[in-house]
Parts: sequence; structure tokens; C-alpha cells
Amino acid sequence: MTPLHFEALYQPEWAELEAQVKLIFAGKNRQNNDVDPIHGERVALLYRRACEHLALARARAYPRYILDRLDKLTADAHQVIYQRSEFGLGRIKRAFTVDFPRAVRAHAAYVWMSAALFVVPTLLVGWLVYQRPDLMLSVVDPQTAAQFEEMYSDSADSIGSLRTSEDDWVMFGYYIWNNISIAFQCFAAGLFGGVGSMFYLIFNGVLMGAVAGYLTERGLSSTFYSFVVTHAAFELTAIVLSGGVGLRLGHSLISPGRNTRLQSLVIAARDCAVILYGITGMLLIAAAIEAFWSSSRWLPLPVKYSVAGVCWLAVFAYFTFQGRRAR
Amino acid sequence: MLDSVVAAETPEGILLEMRPAGISARCCAFIIDWLIRIAVFWAAAIVAGLLGGIGVAFWIILVFVVEWFYPVAFELGRGGATPGKRAMGLRVVMDNGLPITPAASFLRNLLRGADFLPFGYAAAIVSMLVRKDGKRLGDMAAATLVVYLPRPAPKATLDMVTPVAPAYPLSARDQSAVISLAARAPTLTLERLDELAALAASVQGSETRKSDDVTRRVLGVAQWLLGRRA
Repeated sequence: MTPLHFEALYQPEWAELEAQVKLIFAGKNRQNNDVDPIHGERVALLYRRACEHLALARARAYPRYILDRLDKLTADAHQVIYQRSEFGLGRIKRAFTVDFPRAVRAHAAYVWMSAALFVVPTLLVGWLVYQRPDLMLSVVDPQTAAQFEEMYSDSADSIGSLRTSEDDWVMFGYYIWNNISIAFQCFAAGLFGGVGSMFYLIFNGVLMGAVAGYLTERGLSSTFYSFVVTHAAFELTAIVLSGGVGLRLGHSLISPGRNTRLQSLVIAARDCAVILYGITGMLLIAAAIEAFWSSSRWLPLPVKYSVAGVCWLAVFAYFTFQGRRAR
Repeated sequence: MLDSVVAAETPEGILLEMRPAGISARCCAFIIDWLIRIAVFWAAAIVAGLLGGIGVAFWIILVFVVEWFYPVAFELGRGGATPGKRAMGLRVVMDNGLPITPAASFLRNLLRGADFLPFGYAAAIVSMLVRKDGKRLGDMAAATLVVYLPRPAPKATLDMVTPVAPAYPLSARDQSAVISLAARAPTLTLERLDELAALAASVQGSETRKSDDVTRRVLGVAQWLLGRRA
């Protein structure tokens, strides 16, 4: 059989498949239900035929233009037939009610490890700076230290005292940017054998411990803790979770088991994707609380502390119980 | 060695061939996208300036969202590519040739944080230079590939040439080489075409030494192989 004969013989089938694939890409099957121009069975049949033709044409070294046409046709039809749909509200709902807390529980070891890497330096440095406030200057420079002190002091420029709703929005934007970037960094840096995640966790832990210890020593604890305690439930948990995901990525490279390192990394990344969605959601909540609730001074402290307690309990309960019995 | 084609096998047993994009095309795409983002920020800043405080807030949020999710939004669209990539004729696909999934797009773009390290996308540049399939770190973890959109080869249409039967039976590879020469003929200079046809002179079976005759007869053989008869 010559190439031209081959082309003439099968070209009507290819043209039909091309037309169907084009219709599917254009999304035409949604509009007029009475006259459905797409025949699924026929598409599948034509696709398998086109695959056979491609294999034949390759084996017989037919001209490039025939191979290219069949290549494109099979690649397009392959996409139509095998593509997975991951969109939709149902999937998002399921991600937050079932998949996210489950994935976190499945990675409990990494999460606790990450929590330790974050909390231990926080407490240690916090205690040290509380004992010897001059140590604060080995963590940050004097101007930053003074800024922190002023931010949480009782003066007019401090957090929340005279902020307008516009400023609340500006701070909301700033917090989203800053916090989500820190969390994403903790995750991404894990690609280097987990070392990067460890570094960012310890680094942020030291910084937070130093600030907390310093402000407590200065007698500003009530302003400081009442400000941070509520959104910390979401923000710190999210940072610890992203550190944990980063550690998982790093561990998958160091100890790939029976897979190649690349396969192992791909599997780890796929398992972690839903946690990253969750982290993004938690950080949005945290930024909203931080901007609109934490900074409001007119609320009595007992109210703030009880709301904070409820938030912490809710977060822990969510990760402990949510999604255990879902199908 | 020079051929960088990556093949993905489908359940039907055929190989989908993809041509991964190298560092230069991807850098150009990145620069185009970067300029678009700058333009968007600049335009938004003008609007934000008119709105005052609340405008600034929305500007910050916009910058954040665009910086992190600009590629995600476009990669999940129909083209599977950001405007910069589209301009360079590229798209992002999964390793198996399927359209990119939301999770993979999210991952590969979050991992820009790692690709950026230690500065100026150094890790990404090293990775793209070292690897044959031009993946950066984010592509490796998300199992994605940046590939060239396929460009169809020209069809051999030299109908005016008289078909000539080959002097001896040709192997499939040789047939394909002669036909490809005919397909490329319109894009070559006459001198180059004569040079190339001279290499295949033995297939046309006549003793002529005149280069246009050799060329015409070699192209005639290609017509014969395609299935045309005089």
C-alpha cells in the first residue's frame, strides 16, 4: 500500500474524528441537547482506529505530513478521552471536609517534627531573651526592636488604637502577602532535602520567640498576647503544616524506598497538594482575623482570650476528628 | 543526542511525541509574562491611587494574587499556557501528555519558591540546563513538562513532476528520506536541493549527470513512492 492510497482510504475517518474533537474542545455539547452532535462511542472507536493507523504509518515510515496529522489527531483525542476533571464545588467541599484533615493526619509524624522545629526555638529563645533582654539585639537590629516595642505599646500609633477601617483593609492585604509567602517558602525550600524547611521553621521560631520574650520583659504582654493569640491558631498551625509538607518532600528525596528519587518526589508532592490548598485557606482566615479582629482594642480582654481559646480548640478538633467517618 | 523528543506511551500502545522547550524559549516567555504583570500592577496602581486607602489595600491583595496565581489561572485555561508561553508557542502538559491538573499547576508554581533559590531563579536555570527534558524543580515535583505546540510538516505537493520508478527496491527508511526531501523542496534553495538530490542520485536509475535532471528524477521517485503513477 502506498502512502497516498493509505491516506485516501482512511482520511474520511480522520476527518470525522477531527471534527468531533473540535466540537468537544469548543464545548458544543452543552447547548442544544435535542440534537447532540457528539457521539461518544463513535469517538472512542475512531480514536482507537487512528491509533492503529498511526502505529502502521510509523512502522512503514510514511511521509512526515501523514505522521504529523495522525500525531496531532491522536494527541488531541487522547486528551479528550483521558483528561480528568478536578474542578467543581463538590471537590472543593470534599477537600476541606475530608481530604485536608485526613492528609494532615496521614502526615502526623512530619507535622509534629515541624512543630518541634518551630516551637522549641520559640520557647528557648523567648525564655533567653526574657532573662537577658540585650540578647534581642543579636536577633534583630535596634531599630526593628524599637519598632516592635512601639507597635505594641500603649501610645497612639500602636496597633489598633486609632485605626480606620481603610487601614484594616491595607493591613489585611499586607498580612495575606507576608504570611502566605512565609508559609509557601517553608514548603518550597523543603525540596532541598528538607534542610530549607528546617531553616525557615527555626528562623521564624527564633524571631517570634525573641519578639515575645522581649515584649513580655518590657511589660507589654497584655497588648502583645491579646493581639496575636487569636489568629495564631490559624497562622502558626498553617506555618507548621507547610513546614511539615516541606519535610515530607525532603524526606521523599533522601529516602525514596523502592521508587526512583524522582518518582518518590512526584508521589510526595501529589499527596501534599491538598494540604497546600488547606494551608492557603487557613492563612486567608488568619489574615482576616489579624486585620479585623485582633487589632480591635475596644474589645475587653476576656472576650478576646475566650474567642482565641475557641479558635485553638476548633483547629485542633478539626484536625483530630474531621473527616474520619466520611465515605 | 540532539533530538530532545520525549515520548509518553498511551494505553493504546502508541507513543505521543512531545518536544520539551529549552531554557531560551522559557526565559523569553517568562520575560513577556513579567512585563505583562508589571503593566497590570502599574495600571492598577493608577486606579488605586484615585481610590485612596481602600484602593491601596486592594492593590496589595491584587499584587499578591497575581504574583502567585497568574500562571495557575492561565495554565488551567484552555490553552494550558500563560500569554508569554503562548507567544513563544509553548504549553504546559503533564508528563503523560494530558492537560495539566489543578494540583500539578498549583504545585509547580508554588515551587517557584525553591526554583528561585539562592537568587534569581538560579536553581531553575541549572536544572533546565542539565536536564534533557528542560524541567525546573517545580516541573519535576509536579510531573509536568513545558512543550512546544506541534507544528505540522509541509505536505509534499510537487504534482507537476513526472513519477519515476526507483531503480531498485528501497527500504522503508530510504523511502521516507526521499519523500522528506520532496516535502522540504519548496523551502530549500535550488542549489541546496541539487546537492541533496545528488546524494540520492542512485535511486533514479538514469546515467544523466545534469544536476536539474537528477533532481527532477529524484523528486519523481518520491512521487512514485507516495503512490502516483505516470
